[in-house]
Amino acid sequence: MAIIEVVSLDKIYNDSAVEVTALKNINLSISSGEFTAIVGPSGSGKTTLLNLIGGLDYPTSGKIRVGDVWLNELKGFRLIDFRLHNIGFVFQSYNLIPVLTALENVELIMQLQGVSAKERRKRATELLHRVGLGDRCDSRPSKLSGGQQQRVAVARALASKPKYILADEPTANLDGKSTETLLNVMEELNRDEGVTFIFSTHDQRVINRARRVVLLEDGYINSDTFN
Amino acid sequence: MSYLKMAQRNLWRNKRRTVITVSSIFFATLFAVVMRSFQLGSYSLMIRNSIEQYYGFIRIQHSGYTQDPVLENTFESNRELLDKIQNISNVKAVTPRLETFSLASSGNISKGVLVLGIDPETETRFSNPENFLIRFKLTPKVIESLSRDSFLYPLLEVISKHRDAVFADKFELREIFADDPISHSKLRKILELSEVEGRFLSSNDRGVVLSSRLARFLKLEVGDSVILMGQGYQGASAVGVYPIVGIVKIPNPELDNRVVYMPLNLAQEFTNVLNRISYFAINLNNTSDNQLRITADSIKAIVTESYLDVKTWQELNRVLVQQIESDNQSGNAFLFLLYLVVFFGILGTVIMMVHERIHEFGVLISLGMQKHKLIFSLFLELVLMALMGIGFGFLVGIPIIQYYSFYPIRLSGDLANMMTEMGFEPLLPMAPVSGFVWGQGIVTLIMVMIASLYPIRKIIKLQVVSALKR
Repeated sequence: MAIIEVVSLDKIYNDSAVEVTALKNINLSISSGEFTAIVGPSGSGKTTLLNLIGGLDYPTSGKIRVGDVWLNELKGFRLIDFRLHNIGFVFQSYNLIPVLTALENVELIMQLQGVSAKERRKRATELLHRVGLGDRCDSRPSKLSGGQQQRVAVARALASKPKYILADEPTANLDGKSTETLLNVMEELNRDEGVTFIFSTHDQRVINRARRVVLLEDGYINSDTFN
Repeated sequence: MSYLKMAQRNLWRNKRRTVITVSSIFFATLFAVVMRSFQLGSYSLMIRNSIEQYYGFIRIQHSGYTQDPVLENTFESNRELLDKIQNISNVKAVTPRLETFSLASSGNISKGVLVLGIDPETETRFSNPENFLIRFKLTPKVIESLSRDSFLYPLLEVISKHRDAVFADKFELREIFADDPISHSKLRKILELSEVEGRFLSSNDRGVVLSSRLARFLKLEVGDSVILMGQGYQGASAVGVYPIVGIVKIPNPELDNRVVYMPLNLAQEFTNVLNRISYFAINLNNTSDNQLRITADSIKAIVTESYLDVKTWQELNRVLVQQIESDNQSGNAFLFLLYLVVFFGILGTVIMMVHERIHEFGVLISLGMQKHKLIFSLFLELVLMALMGIGFGFLVGIPIIQYYSFYPIRLSGDLANMMTEMGFEPLLPMAPVSGFVWGQGIVTLIMVMIASLYPIRKIIKLQVVSALKR
């Protein structure tokens, strides 16, 4: 059974004078353990789709099911709580909390979940080791390179044991070497632990590594290819 | 990572801004507590000088006496009533007094005076005027003797500035050398030369005690006599010549200008009102408004005579109450303006803080942090900042307040003269630390709470997607 089911999804922005259709009639099904890239040119609707799947925004029409829950029916604190326990996020610009160390950044999610201090410390340390940053636990984000920060972000996304991780252009700000390291980490996690990754990207290196590529153009799914 | 620790770290993200905000709260708290302490200190000085020393916190008097304080509105003194009042737990002292106005003359100088017939024994417990008895005086003769003494000659300049000054004790006299303290031997010598005779009254005395400014005006000293002329009970004339047995320096300048203390028996004889008094004056241990009311009610229950009234000092002395109230209002208005300025400073910080971190708020909410937790975390930051400012303000302010409440600033020169002419003792006392200090801290915390409404609203209305785009 698919963990994410997107049914007839439309998203129209009418904040400005002009109405903008960002997504139109999107139907998509993502199964557990996928390593999927959503690709397309700028303005094609990649980030909008990710925001909707991540429960950060509401569709104009259509439905999104995650497991047994219809995401579009959740509101307010229930939606926030759902995100906390089910979805991991990796942002383009890392978005680590600057006043927290790498370890504390990873712990934060578990703290919000109510995990005991001892357990979250143990798991956060393990995760940082897993992404190759076991020796940088006490470093603040400002002391880490872009690639290292993004790996901390991946560890943070994993901390809550989510159903899937959404990564919005995770390599956009990284150099070649860092991109390679990050992709290796994510690929290993996907392969060894069955973590589901969904990226939005137009980085060819990421597209080459994805096992499924969904091409968006002008808000429509143009193609959906399994490698 | 506790919220507190996170708040602490967030505070030091922008050190300069935090330091500026904490400093503004610090100065506001310091200024507010010091100013309020000066205000309350001056009120308690006013109350002490005029209520505790003269009026009494509660009076029992004839119902017509407030409107028409004449001898016809006196009443028979009642020892049993006095004892009953004295037994009320909050009553510190009770004393009978007979008051009348008279003309005091010496040579060709005359002045209207307040003749205060007192029972020396109970009056000692009530206002203890003996405390203010003048024991030292720097007369021209004393200054001349000092100028001839090579040992004391260097002090002549200071002493000459205080020509005719009178002192109730050696500590007061020593204060004139506060800028350049002198040795014990020099002080002893000055005390010896300037010592004056005088004692306080006893019940059977036939003499009087004059207030110091009045004595100076009439050019009278201990051992001289003063002529008193006035109207006695039921139109009889009241005339007498009385020897001066002592001079007192009453702290309240207005009273110091016009009081003649006389033993109660002698005053009754002078005015021809045998065994009658104008009122019982009562001082209290706890003088708070609430206790004042409770004690007044207890006294009313004891006083059964219909022609007697029990009045509190606020009922009797509307002028002083209004003076305090109006000064209090203007002080509060000033504090309000001060707090308003600080409030906008805090609000500015809060607005900057929120706008700088709106993206971060979006990230935290998208990761799964509930909005109320985010609000709490931000609120904690603001409270921490406020507590630092308030804490430093207290740390500096409280020692200042405590010091000057024990050692009030004594004004000198023109300012002192101006205050004296207005009827105030030239002192700037501070009220010791009490609820008003903590009150200033609470006001600052309330301001922070009001300022935090801005981030609360901002977070509640936050759209995660648009916050992440910023």
